[in-house]
Amino acid sequence: MAPDIEMKPADKKEDDKKKKDDEKKDSKDKEKEKEEPPKPPPTPVQEIKANVALIERAVEALEPRFAHRALRTLAALRRRLNDAVLRDAVEELFKDSPTKQALLAWLPEAPPADTAMEVDSTSNVTTTAPTHKAVTTEPLPEVDMYLRLLIIHHLDSSSSTYSKAIDLAHETVAKMQALNRRSTDPIAAKIWYALERAYELGGDLSDARPLFLAAQRTASLRHDDETHASLINRLLRSYIHSNLYAQADKLISKTTFPPAASNPQLARYHYYLGRIKAVQLNYSEAHAHLQQAIRRAPAPTRAPGFWQAVNKLFVVVELLMGDIPERGLFRHPVLEKALQAYFDVVKAVRTGSLSQFQSTLATHAATLSADHTYTLVARLRQNVIKTGIRRLSLSYSRIALRDICVKLHLDSEEDAEYIVGKAVRDGVIDGKVVHDKGWVECAGAGAGGAGRGYGPEVGDVFQRRIGYCLELHNQSVKAMRYPLNAHRKELAAAEGAREREKELAKEIQEGDLDDDDIGGDF
Amino acid sequence: MSLKSQYTDLKASFSSKPPDLQKCGRLLTQLKLGLIQAGLLLPQGDLNQGDLVVAREILEIGAFWSIRTQDVPAFDRYFSQLQTFYTDYTTLPPSQHEYAIRGLHLIRLLTQNRIADFHTALESLPAAALESTYIAHPVNLERCLMEGSYAKVWSARAEAPAAEYEYFVDSLMGTIRNEIASCEEAAYESLPLKDAATLLFFASQRELLVYAEQRGWEVNLNLGTITFAKKGEETMDIPKEKVIAASLLYARELEQIV
Repeated sequence: MAPDIEMKPADKKEDDKKKKDDEKKDSKDKEKEKEEPPKPPPTPVQEIKANVALIERAVEALEPRFAHRALRTLAALRRRLNDAVLRDAVEELFKDSPTKQALLAWLPEAPPADTAMEVDSTSNVTTTAPTHKAVTTEPLPEVDMYLRLLIIHHLDSSSSTYSKAIDLAHETVAKMQALNRRSTDPIAAKIWYALERAYELGGDLSDARPLFLAAQRTASLRHDDETHASLINRLLRSYIHSNLYAQADKLISKTTFPPAASNPQLARYHYYLGRIKAVQLNYSEAHAHLQQAIRRAPAPTRAPGFWQAVNKLFVVVELLMGDIPERGLFRHPVLEKALQAYFDVVKAVRTGSLSQFQSTLATHAATLSADHTYTLVARLRQNVIKTGIRRLSLSYSRIALRDICVKLHLDSEEDAEYIVGKAVRDGVIDGKVVHDKGWVECAGAGAGGAGRGYGPEVGDVFQRRIGYCLELHNQSVKAMRYPLNAHRKELAAAEGAREREKELAKEIQEGDLDDDDIGGDF
Repeated sequence: MSLKSQYTDLKASFSSKPPDLQKCGRLLTQLKLGLIQAGLLLPQGDLNQGDLVVAREILEIGAFWSIRTQDVPAFDRYFSQLQTFYTDYTTLPPSQHEYAIRGLHLIRLLTQNRIADFHTALESLPAAALESTYIAHPVNLERCLMEGSYAKVWSARAEAPAAEYEYFVDSLMGTIRNEIASCEEAAYESLPLKDAATLLFFASQRELLVYAEQRGWEVNLNLGTITFAKKGEETMDIPKEKVIAASLLYARELEQIV
């Protein structure tokens, strides 16, 4: 429904603009509006046209906001594209020109019967087609880019056309770079994404890396934030895809992610960062990044794939940090099924049973390796042991090493002794080993444990939270937008007020000499 | 060609038993010069596959040689040169020594306690690599180290898949010994000398006594025990400056909001 709502004001505005120019056109547009109400969901072609109108407006008004609005519907629109829709859109938007021929060349000539069927379903569009042809003048290059983007996405959707998608993407990128118009930037960011997708589906992702690297440099020099952000993400994805974590880390340390980037890009960036940090054992940083990614991600129902991927990693990182994720997370409708394997892992870690952990790991090995989390989960082994020892230390004041061995399924008493020793040193438990007697004495929670948690770290946590809230506030203040030139009015008003004040001051000054005036004023 | 003959010469002298390490070193330096001239040491672009394979093999021999001569920095250099061959030239026929060298690199990272780099390197390996004994060995070692099963690390010395591993495993023992010692300091009040020696994998009491002196442990020879000095409870300071700075920051921010 959203695109429909957005579409109308755009059309209306155009009406207003063109009213003075041409009476006939206006009436035709009105006809079109009359036709619209009984058909609430717009056809893809209509949607494309509405978006094109938005993009044109963005270029005219030098306001990338409109282009962003047009691109926002991309994800939904992508699924509804087909050859006929795209061909219709191109036919209607372009006059006979080389651009149109070039675009049509990428779409297969559909058999006539097929088109007839399509025409039936989109009859509304075909009737309005001729009128619109008259309306549009030679379309802007941005519109050309937008349609190319749609066509690439369409070509990406079936395996037979992957190579075509790559070719088209290359051509588009070349054209885009030749144009060098700042108004194409929002679309360019999406085109890079489409290019990556085409490469990933149709060929080797690493082949596209030099291309991305070169483009990233250019984007960075031109302060093209959106494209820059998109390209950094493309590169990170490509590195992580081929498991080159060292390179990905270097890329991050050498680049600064543009802070003005849009939320989806930022969410992706945080996800990749979280992934890299987790591999490097920097769990607390990974945790922070993943949390950001979850917060910045679109609603779970709209982008379930990303949401699931982030949460999977988040659960593992939380476990690696020694925390147990919330139970509620696994009941989330979007996550419940996807996180089943992780839920079992959590259960095993929570109980501290090494054998249960190993069997869970074995049963879910395929799922975990598909998610690229297998090695991370395998690292949990030591956490399982730590949890186990912790539980024992809480429930026993004195326990023999042999019993620890049996309870935790360790291989030998000797191992148990070392493991307990390490646990004491790492601060997992508080106690001491009595070697002669072969037992472990655990200090109760009373002695050292009670004081824990009320030290300076409480202040740190508090400060972190306050810091987050303050930043949130500052960010939202920064994100407020004001209508263009509205402040002029206020300025004028303020100017007027100042003028009046001056006059008043003058009067008062003059009045100082005149007693009557003061008397009159008060 | 001289490069070719040197290469065969190197191969022969390295595989002969016992290998002539000095001669290998000499040959390797000459060969590396040759490789640079041929543009093969740091290959770029499309090159003849056969040449690349030869270059890779020379570097691999160099890596093994550097460990035999206990020259670890040289090993690091050879490894980073080899990485180009392993990751960027995937079209080459896989080398049989690749996993052995990668495994050595992993152990090398372990001995330096560079666990983060260890995992990064491990993550970049394909899943199939984990089944190779060369890779599985360091992976197991790391797991035991992290768990604290030091006895297993000790016994793993015997399971080293190649002779070159032993050099690193020996230096790994030094790391482990320090780890165990720090654990003992925390977990025990006192220990009989004999048990301490077994826990720390010392063969003789004399070595233990030297080590105990290094770490500053109290040794009571009459009773035959080691007493670990208990560290006093750390006094907790209130971080005044930090608290004041934070409060001032809050005040300023609030001022801005209101």
